[in-house]
Amino acid sequence: MNKAALDKLQDWSKAGHRNVQADTLVMLAADYPEVVALSADLTPTARLVEFKETYPDRFFDVGIAEQNLIDFSAGLALEGLRPFAVGLAAMVPMRPAEQMRAAVGYMKANVTVIGIEAGVRFGPLGNTHYAMDDIAVVRAIPNFTVIAPSDPLSTHKALYACIEHEGPVYMRLTGGPGYPVMYPEDFDYQIGKAIEYRSGNDVAFITSGSLLADAVRAADILESEGISTRVVDMHTVKPLDTEMLDMVFAENQLVVTAEEHSPFGGLGGAVAEYKAGFADAPRQVIASLGDKFQMLGDHKFLMKQNGLTAPDLAGLAKGNL
Amino acid sequence: MANTETVDLIHEKAALMRRHVIEMGFGAGGRGAHFGPALSSIEIVASLFFGIMTHDPENPTWANRDRFVQSKGHACLALYSALGEAGYITKEQMATFKGDGSFLAGHPTRNPQYGIEVTSGTLGNGFAVACGMAKAAKIKGEDHKVFCLVGDGECNEGIIWEAAMNAVKYELDNLIAVIDRNFVQLAGTTKDIMDVDVEALWRAAGWDVLVLEDGNDAASLLDALEGMKESNGGRPHVIIANTTKGKGISFMEGSLNWHARPMNEEQYEQAIADLENAKTT
Repeated sequence: MNKAALDKLQDWSKAGHRNVQADTLVMLAADYPEVVALSADLTPTARLVEFKETYPDRFFDVGIAEQNLIDFSAGLALEGLRPFAVGLAAMVPMRPAEQMRAAVGYMKANVTVIGIEAGVRFGPLGNTHYAMDDIAVVRAIPNFTVIAPSDPLSTHKALYACIEHEGPVYMRLTGGPGYPVMYPEDFDYQIGKAIEYRSGNDVAFITSGSLLADAVRAADILESEGISTRVVDMHTVKPLDTEMLDMVFAENQLVVTAEEHSPFGGLGGAVAEYKAGFADAPRQVIASLGDKFQMLGDHKFLMKQNGLTAPDLAGLAKGNL
Repeated sequence: MANTETVDLIHEKAALMRRHVIEMGFGAGGRGAHFGPALSSIEIVASLFFGIMTHDPENPTWANRDRFVQSKGHACLALYSALGEAGYITKEQMATFKGDGSFLAGHPTRNPQYGIEVTSGTLGNGFAVACGMAKAAKIKGEDHKVFCLVGDGECNEGIIWEAAMNAVKYELDNLIAVIDRNFVQLAGTTKDIMDVDVEALWRAAGWDVLVLEDGNDAASLLDALEGMKESNGGRPHVIIANTTKGKGISFMEGSLNWHARPMNEEQYEQAIADLENAKTT
């Protein structure tokens, strides 16, 4: 891990995921000449001004044109470049889903699509700006890897992992300002390898994205009441780490998947699909944003509305044990 | 001006390619084929593969080859017939068209070792991907060109115009698009489905535009393509080639019925007779 990243860690935690991905892309561009970045009229929002100014010949703003963002990236990738295409998670996988399927997934183009402000983080902007279905859209496209990192360090390391990864990646980013650092600097991040954040044999929380921190606080609550709680950071939603799931299914009484996403097609759905093959796996409860458009409100309000705070998650687990 | 030998070669190749189109399409039996849109673009594809592009079938992934992207993927038989004539694929492989397990699907699937650069079939995407490929060539300092075949109906797609604007912004003068302007799309004439001034749209997007009155004429195609290949004026190029849908087959020319369908034995005999007659006239 480079020193520049460590120096920025506290700033990243304060500022949230937009800065982590943008600063990391600048670092990647310095390390890898084949890295290029693209945006669809989102340069300041995605914090890509420094990238644009540092590497003007390797930065492309395609205008408000998400379909072309993806196709243009695919063309660059087919010729050996490594494009990182950044867009709002609410717009990018859904609007150009067909481009992601035909031009990226089918051709195995080495494009990393980054969806910022996933889930309901855009609060007052309303439902058109919420990404509640992005994982579901991309999970259904063959050859795509889907990553939802949980903290600033894992976001940074996941981006470095993408450059060594062969094939298309969708990276969904959640944690906003106050994005807690969950991992020590030397932790090992590998795409597809879930992290057992805490061990425990009664409840198992399995999370994706920045909900890891809430699940850990929920585990604290449960542990204080004598309920042994495992917490798993399933930062790669596709492919799932099935070895980790095999252990959870063998050792835990209840699985609670938690995600800032629809209950359909996200982490909860993926775990349930895998679990369907087991005769005696534990029960699973899916904590999610529900199958609905949301009320208007800020992020904290919406997470509470949907039962995704730490006390809610602890209560959900207790009620289902 | 294109020399006579090259013009004759293109027309000779075009005749052979038309024969392949009919044989492959008839061979697909009840699965049918997009005959009309393949036949209209034969001279365009033949001019590129046998007159204009620098490429090597013995070394299909040679880095500095000119790229050909068939964005109007449904006309895949034009591409496959050129690949067969050029030696990228064998006659035996051509005969597998649309068959179970074949790599020659009803729309091209990327397969660089056989000369298929880009997956297409969902209209507009091949063109937008070609723009990315042209930009990549500039970033890497390679001087090859990217040629892209686009349908006139395909220009209904929004992605075409997203990409067209972007190509001008990034000064992709190494990109040459050819619009196969055959005036017929799936459900009717282009006039009935979406009556727009295609030339004006491309000019408005900022492209270097040339209209060919006869896009099935090799001499004018070769001249236009050669001129654009040599031009580095900072703007991407587009040739709007007015063609005849179903060109070369009497009962298909200009027909609304031969966009895509199976061909029966009687129609096959007639099509072959038309091609044989063309040789002697």
